[in-house]
Amino acid sequence: MQTEPRRFPVWLWYALLCVFWWGLWGFFSKIGSVSANPLQLQILFTFGMLPVAFGMLLQMRGRLDRNPGGAAFGILSGFFTGLGALGYFAALRQQDASVVTPVTGLFPLLTVVLAFIVLRERLNKVQMGGIVLALASIVILSI
Amino acid sequence: MKLGTNRISARSMVIWVTIGFVVLVPFMCRMTTLAGLSAGAISAGLIAGMVNGLGNWAIFASLEKGAKASVAIPLTALYPLCTVILATVFLRERPSSLQWLGIALALAGGAMLSYEPPAAPALEERPQCAQ
Repeated sequence: MQTEPRRFPVWLWYALLCVFWWGLWGFFSKIGSVSANPLQLQILFTFGMLPVAFGMLLQMRGRLDRNPGGAAFGILSGFFTGLGALGYFAALRQQDASVVTPVTGLFPLLTVVLAFIVLRERLNKVQMGGIVLALASIVILSI
Repeated sequence: MKLGTNRISARSMVIWVTIGFVVLVPFMCRMTTLAGLSAGAISAGLIAGMVNGLGNWAIFASLEKGAKASVAIPLTALYPLCTVILATVFLRERPSSLQWLGIALALAGGAMLSYEPPAAPALEERPQCAQ
């Protein structure tokens, strides 16, 4: 019996691309944070995102998906991510970054729980082990 | 994110998410001002925003292409690994022993999260004998 070679899943390429872009984000944030405070950076991030959004709109020739549910989840995702960043900065005023950053870095745990309950996603044992290692590394790298 | 990409395209999600961020700008501008910032800091912040937007597009595209949220989100949360590497190469920072441990755990965790058993491929990827 012929066996097909296992293909590298398309979603994984995009996920790794995301790691690269967000890694660059962390790098430039680090450079900017030398003289800008986190709130100023958050404003600049938002302005920096505008050309990307505009570019996407041009690519789509102005045909933005207006599905009410999709649009609402999109806006809420951006709003809560921004709000989460503001909460993070507020927490930094009360506690050291070495405590706050590792704790907030655990946000994927909430995603995993919500995906289990709401989206009914099920992971295999290897992936569950991966989540444990990933969370440990997130905490360590953010100290 | 996953609930959004289940309904609209990744590119549309980028636009709606950006709108969600923009809504917060007036509140943030009440708390601080950009006056007095150096051109270098402003440039770094704007570039950071741009690559953040591209990262948003990539995670939405990943979810759109069938990634589980419970896998893709923890996997992409490993981005500090990339930042540590860039800071090591370009800013000549040297990772501590603890950070090396974090890097090793991130690589192992990332590989394990990416693991999909061969027995559960998508329908069109199944060999003919399985039909």
